[in-house]
Amino acid sequence: MHDLPQQLANGLILGALYGLVAIGYTMVYGIVQLINFAHGEIVMVGGFGALTAYLALPGGTTLWLALPLMLIAGVLVSTLTAVAAERFAYRPLRNAPRLAPLITAIGLSIFLQQLVFSFYPDAKKARVFPKIPGDPFSLGSVTIQRSDLFLIIAAPLCMLALGWFVTRTRSGRAMQATSQDPDTAKLMGIDTDRIIVMAFAIGAAFAAVAAVAYGLRSGQVDFRMGFILGLKAFTAAVLGGIGNIYGAMLGGLALGLAEALATGYIQHLPGMHLFGGGAWKDVWAFVLLILVLLVRPQGLLGERVADRA
Amino acid sequence: MTTTAAPLLEVTGVTMRFGGLTAVNDVSLTVGEGEIIGLIGPNGAGKTTFFNCLTGLYVPTEGTVRYRDVQLPPKPHLVTQAGIARTFQNIRLFANMTVLENVLVGRHTRTKEGIFSAILRGPGYHRAEAESRAKAMELLEFTGLADKAEHLARNLPYGEQRKLEIARALASDPGLLLLDEPTAGMNPQETRAAEELVFAIRDKGISILVIEHDMRFIFNLCDRTAVLVQGQKIVEGDRETVQNDERVITAYLGAPLEEAAPAAEGTTPAAPEDTK
Repeated sequence: MHDLPQQLANGLILGALYGLVAIGYTMVYGIVQLINFAHGEIVMVGGFGALTAYLALPGGTTLWLALPLMLIAGVLVSTLTAVAAERFAYRPLRNAPRLAPLITAIGLSIFLQQLVFSFYPDAKKARVFPKIPGDPFSLGSVTIQRSDLFLIIAAPLCMLALGWFVTRTRSGRAMQATSQDPDTAKLMGIDTDRIIVMAFAIGAAFAAVAAVAYGLRSGQVDFRMGFILGLKAFTAAVLGGIGNIYGAMLGGLALGLAEALATGYIQHLPGMHLFGGGAWKDVWAFVLLILVLLVRPQGLLGERVADRA
Repeated sequence: MTTTAAPLLEVTGVTMRFGGLTAVNDVSLTVGEGEIIGLIGPNGAGKTTFFNCLTGLYVPTEGTVRYRDVQLPPKPHLVTQAGIARTFQNIRLFANMTVLENVLVGRHTRTKEGIFSAILRGPGYHRAEAESRAKAMELLEFTGLADKAEHLARNLPYGEQRKLEIARALASDPGLLLLDEPTAGMNPQETRAAEELVFAIRDKGISILVIEHDMRFIFNLCDRTAVLVQGQKIVEGDRETVQNDERVITAYLGAPLEEAAPAAEGTTPAAPEDTK
């Protein structure tokens, strides 16, 4: 168990990535009770937006200058895609049965994948994404890749900003009110259509931050990256209690830790030597989900809600 | 029209149909500046539906609603912006927000804050936020909830939840307040306190349209009372007019037996036992 601190660090970093994406699922669900299965692709287009900005910069630009520009481009692309999706794909179905927007989301997800696959230059296979250059650095027995610095700084900042926004600003309070009771919120003078757009936009901005972090970590982006990342993030959102923003981050961290620890230790348990290692990590992630939902169907921080009258 | 000034609220021929059911049928009503108007009627008479037509939750099938001589748009948030606020028959607070936050949400239309000024936290943000909070606290003082500002709304006792709904409605600086059964489930003392509160609101210059079942409450408060039966307004006037109107008595108590009996005898002998 001598590498436990390292495994915990890996788990937390991976978990923060899941958490950032999970925010998008949970915010949209909290406001319109829609599971936006296209959210993984919102992450993906953000990654390609950032890559485009990087490629457009002159050759020798240092990454410290390029990174903010990439981030802005990624956020812009993700947000515009999400807002357009809301306007043209989801809003017309606002009062349709729940299944209709769900199917639309899956369709949109495939559409966005194919759009990038077909029209982005050389996107048929993974495109190289820059990494933060330099050796990994060590804190005691823990080694951290330089590229992960971005996530280590960005994730807590994003969460603090979001927490402050939701509780301390007029728009944030309107958002809480809309998620608790949209009809009453309207009668309090809140333009709920605007709030819905805002929820999609914030989720997309977080998705773009996650996309840049993912690109830096893995050194590549590809048109399928949103699928498994989106699925894991959705799992994290459910794990934490869907609709709760802190739950999304907590769920992400829990999922990341579970994956890291399962990868590192399951094979050392008696009789389990076949089930360890990276190949099984997804299995253990979903086992965790099933176990938590058996005990707490509403998720870690979710509240038991009676069906809306 | 040769009248001097248009009334605050002018409802003309509002009809609301749901499929084949006519819930509100050709109802006209005016509320003047500084008036308290009552709206009574048996359960299912269409009172709340009528309120929903006024506040843009429903778009009336026919008829118009004008406020300060402007036709109201059929969007709830624009109606609130225009100056009409309401409370609900079944309490509809934001249960998981604090008392203060509920009132701040009510203030939404009267504050301006773009998402960018909030992110940048400029001086405008701090000023607007401080003003909103001061105004909200003032309303909580007014309704007697100031010491519970930080409690979660769902933890308040029932009577105070009703008060909070009123405080939240007042936060939008309305010119007209619609109260939907404000004393439902209250004991007599609480009802008296609610009467005082309604008068105090009127003294702030806010007109009130109130739905109630408590007749004493209605007749103590209201300048005029309209009676709605099966979607139709059958009478409107002061206490005497309403209390002595035979159609109102019939609607609430049923037709007197002496009149019903001979009519029933003509049809079937067994009818009197059934008409209970």
